[in-house]
Amino acid sequence: MAVLKVENLSKVFPAANKGSEPTSALERIDLELGGHVFVSLVGPSGCGKSTFLNILSGVEEPSSGRITVTGDDGSPARFGYVFQDPRLLPWRTIMQNILYVHDDHGAETRRRALEYLDMVGLAQTADMYPAQLSGGMQQRAGIARAFSVDPDLLLMDEPFSHLDAITARSLRDQLQDIWSRTRKTVLFVTHDVTEAVLLSEKIIVMTHGGRIHAEFTIDLPHPRKASDPEVAALQAEILGEFEKIQATAGDGGNGSAAGPSEESQGTVSDPLAQGS
Amino acid sequence: MSTGTATRFERSVQRTQEMRFGTRVWAAVVSDTGARVTSYIVGLLAWQILGALYERVPGPIEVVQFLADEFASGDVWPNFYATADRFLWGLAIAIVAGVLFGLVIGMWPLARALLKDTMMVGLAIPAIIWALLTALWFGFAWKAPVLTVALTATPFVAVNVAQGVEATPRDLVRMSKAFGVPLQRRVRGLVLPFVMDYVFTGVRFAIIVGWNGVLLSEWFASTKGVGWRTRYWYDANNFDGFVAWVVLFVVFIVVLDRLALVPIQKRVFRWRTTVARR
Amino acid sequence: MGNVAVQGLRVRAPGLAGRRWRQAGAVVIGWAAFFGVWAFASEVLFNPYRLPGPLTVADAMWTIVKSGDVVTTFKASLGKIFLGFGLAAVLGGPIGFLMGRSRYWKAFFHDPVVVAGSVPGITYAVLALVIFGIGLEGPILAVALVSMPFIALNVAAGLESVDSTLITMSHAYRRRRTEILRHVLIPTITPFVFAGVRLSFALAWKVEALTEVFGSSDGIGFMIRRSYQLFSVTDVLAWTGLFVIFMLLLERFVLVRLERYLFRWRPREAAA
Repeated sequence: MAVLKVENLSKVFPAANKGSEPTSALERIDLELGGHVFVSLVGPSGCGKSTFLNILSGVEEPSSGRITVTGDDGSPARFGYVFQDPRLLPWRTIMQNILYVHDDHGAETRRRALEYLDMVGLAQTADMYPAQLSGGMQQRAGIARAFSVDPDLLLMDEPFSHLDAITARSLRDQLQDIWSRTRKTVLFVTHDVTEAVLLSEKIIVMTHGGRIHAEFTIDLPHPRKASDPEVAALQAEILGEFEKIQATAGDGGNGSAAGPSEESQGTVSDPLAQGS
Repeated sequence: MSTGTATRFERSVQRTQEMRFGTRVWAAVVSDTGARVTSYIVGLLAWQILGALYERVPGPIEVVQFLADEFASGDVWPNFYATADRFLWGLAIAIVAGVLFGLVIGMWPLARALLKDTMMVGLAIPAIIWALLTALWFGFAWKAPVLTVALTATPFVAVNVAQGVEATPRDLVRMSKAFGVPLQRRVRGLVLPFVMDYVFTGVRFAIIVGWNGVLLSEWFASTKGVGWRTRYWYDANNFDGFVAWVVLFVVFIVVLDRLALVPIQKRVFRWRTTVARR
Repeated sequence: MGNVAVQGLRVRAPGLAGRRWRQAGAVVIGWAAFFGVWAFASEVLFNPYRLPGPLTVADAMWTIVKSGDVVTTFKASLGKIFLGFGLAAVLGGPIGFLMGRSRYWKAFFHDPVVVAGSVPGITYAVLALVIFGIGLEGPILAVALVSMPFIALNVAAGLESVDSTLITMSHAYRRRRTEILRHVLIPTITPFVFAGVRLSFALAWKVEALTEVFGSSDGIGFMIRRSYQLFSVTDVLAWTGLFVIFMLLLERFVLVRLERYLFRWRPREAAA
């Protein structure tokens, strides 16, 4: 049974000023996700992947199309979110931050919160304030928060892009680990192809103008390492797709509706950059 | 949230020309100027209602009438001149003393250790104390209000000047010392220009608290002046007159501050990008 | 400056201890200078009848403290100030909220709020006298009107500084409006309101005392007026001294402690 079903989803931004065309951020997206898969959405900057996530999380409205998210037992679906920055309330402790996204603050919820904090190695920080934690630790807390909600769909928007390479690598491993244990359905947005190959069962490549260009299914076992030959091979294949995208965009072929030239690609990225 | 409101508003301004008259009026009412005007209208109406409800409180119309009579009978200007004379003398003393104290406190740590607590005590003492003390010391003389203004306002000038000196970029000071620039030139060329903005803020505060001080002093110990005249009507149980003079001196200082001092400060120091005020 | 030795969790530098002594010494010198100049002015420049020296005034202060008048007097004044601040919060909070959220209300309230803050204290004192006669409504209202602009403007500034990423995060996790208000908006505004209270604290005390001088039957202002009517410079100075000390104590102990508690989540920065 599909957890996430997206039908004919489109998002058009009105013309920024007189004389320019409306920008199409997403064009007729069709997507179906079964349960318990880790799916990555990759694409160049401005291809609409962040807009897609914003629409899924309810922050933005689509122009047309339908989104259906189904919970496990038919109940209203629960979402978890991890953002680029941790987005923790600075004036609450880590534990209080996790409780904030729960409606019920009973003993059971606290126990679960501690369990997830432990999974990311932050059990002792439960009573500390975010300012006392490093950037990587704060992001881990954000991940624990997202998992603790027991979400039907977990949305992650480039969660490691603001961290240094070493911290990012360590967090990626932790994410692989926690996902193997909990097997949640994850939709993971990134511009880093290696990251996508390391983490996902399925990779969706998006292109300018918000269209799905290609899909890849990955069968490799977890845990994966960047040094594995199959990982490198897949990475090369996907990067090849990117080059095809760049080529067609440069040709002025099926580029974004806003116009094929390089300058209008500039106008495309602006409305998308204001995602939140 | 407020950005959303602003965008909506800007678009409606763009379309003003194309709108019908009715919607144009509405756009004017909800504009920033419209809001300001409305607040004054609401304020005056509320005042009028208060005046009608409470017998002792005169409404705006009675106040204006009374002031017109006062002006006509020639009772306004002589009192204003008397107050202004005392006020300006006190202010002059406050500025000179305050700048001196502030510079000294800011530039030398020893002076700071010696004088800072005195300055803080000065800031904490309310103008009423000075008004009463000077009345006890000098009776109904000219010195009382002048000293009240001076004693009340000096700490404000000093505190701001001291802050200004402390805000002078230290590396420029070190550079000047390294080049052997003599004290006088350092003060004139480096410290004073930086400090001028703070001096102005201090003077602005000095004017506001000094004006308060002179009125207080005149209320208790004077035979002429704005404060005295206000009390005169109060003692005579003439609340129309009392409130009229209160309105007069409030309008005077608010207009002076908002229409003269603040714009001057903004214009003269508009090249400043980062200034810590207060 | 000096070697830094790590001892357990605390880092102590030898130069630091010396600096603390120097700072304490500076404070002592400062106060000694203050009293010294005062005593000099009293004995030498003027005369002890016009300007009583520090010892005379200290003696009078001690008499007042012993008689217990201090407690009743300051309790009365403090009570009025609390009520006044409370009223200022009730008035200023919603106004500030409106000003922070809507451009129209910001323009509407801007002038009244700024004018209320620039009006000379004597205005409130005498108007309260006329409207309320002798009593406690006057000082309470005066404090409220003088502090309200600080509160309103600070609430507005606080609202404008709300971190929108926290709001989107809250929306994404489907938090209700009341929860967002309680967990995001109010904690963001609190430091601003606190700054407003601190700034207006000294001002509120002065206006309160002033209003009491004009129209009250208790409180510090009343005591000062009585001393004035008895032509006692000593007593005026004694009450002034108590007034200043009380304010400094409140500021340094109550307000600073409160600030530290409210903002214990802040990252440690160099103290401003």
